[in-house]
Amino acid sequence: MLSERDLVARVQRLTVTRLRVWVRQGLIKPADDTTQSFSEADLARAILICNLEDQLGFSEEDVPVLLNLIDQIHGLRSELMSLLGALEDLPPDVRATVKMRISRRGGSGR
Amino acid sequence: MAEDLYSVLDVPKTASAGDITKAYRKLAKKLHPDLNPGDKAAEEKFKKITAAYDILGDAEKRGRYDRGEIDASGQERPQQHYYREYAGGQDGARYRSTAGFEDIGAFSDLFGDLFGERGGVRGGRGGARFSMRGPDAQYRLEVDFLDAVNGTKTRITLPDGGTLDVTIPADVTDGRVLRLKGKGGPGIGEGEAGDALIEIGVRPHPVFKREGDDIIVEVPITFDEAVLGGKVEVPTIGGRVFATVPPGSNTGQTLRLRGRGIKTKSGTGDQLVRLSVVLPERIDEDLKGFAETWREAHRYDPRRKLKEQA
Repeated sequence: MLSERDLVARVQRLTVTRLRVWVRQGLIKPADDTTQSFSEADLARAILICNLEDQLGFSEEDVPVLLNLIDQIHGLRSELMSLLGALEDLPPDVRATVKMRISRRGGSGR
Repeated sequence: MAEDLYSVLDVPKTASAGDITKAYRKLAKKLHPDLNPGDKAAEEKFKKITAAYDILGDAEKRGRYDRGEIDASGQERPQQHYYREYAGGQDGARYRSTAGFEDIGAFSDLFGDLFGERGGVRGGRGGARFSMRGPDAQYRLEVDFLDAVNGTKTRITLPDGGTLDVTIPADVTDGRVLRLKGKGGPGIGEGEAGDALIEIGVRPHPVFKREGDDIIVEVPITFDEAVLGGKVEVPTIGGRVFATVPPGSNTGQTLRLRGRGIKTKSGTGDQLVRLSVVLPERIDEDLKGFAETWREAHRYDPRRKLKEQA
């Protein structure tokens, strides 16, 4: 676990003020809310926000929109993974049926 | 690696600094790994354009590159771990959003129930009789620093008395989550077992510290080694090696042992040796006498800067 100061020290161009704004906006949720301490995922997320703003030139208003979409993608990916994991263990004939039904629906056309 | 950096960013050699930044950002927005989770090819391209921008985006480095003083390779720094590596694990769970599933719930009863329950979007409706996947079991495993760096196999004992063999891959970092398929709770009905999610905690090492892919070690040297230079034995994560201390070394000075850091998919880090000069525990008459005579002729003031600044 990282304290606020540890996290700021490990990210270039990050200040305590900037981090606190993100936490207030809910862009970063401290892994431990009561002690305001952060995990490696929070650190990676802070680096991502910095990259989006400083390196890629997105504006401060764009970033919450992007994060919301990224979070939805990971939500989708995680559900898709468990769905695929469940399909994988079905008997081969059931899997073949599912595959056929999916391709009949068209989807992305891959 | 002889590729021309200007063509990597698709700009002419005469492009202005502003044009280069613009070209880089346009490509980076398309290729950033966190905007393309799971896309390996995009990641490779992103690394390439970022390495090119590291040089061309810096007026001084660009000049040296244009004059042929540095080439296109060797400038790439190992990248930070991306958010996407954590987003799928337990640590990233609180950020994942299933708000986009509400309409799917209306479309399919089965998935509506599943996603609703797992994502906490809607209350369980109950009553439906179907097979369900077993719950994931979550564990935390503390590993030694060197095991995390080199990878290892270990066995954990579960609360119910069973055991679980876990292979820790090399270069695992604190907070990473390993998923063992089918090692979680049993499924309901025909459902398969859940997965075991093992969150890795890395214990700190008394000697080695990690910074990115570099290893940092503080090494004490004697007063005579500092003045005259010499070879000193230094521990690395791969065993002991000899490092050359240049004459006139000082506390705080750092030696870089190339390629002695952490091996990752993207390259190998260095070991940084921080020197600290240590006087003998007992100062004998010899040393005392020498210091007294030396002081007469060679006064110097290491605190001059200190006085100027405060």
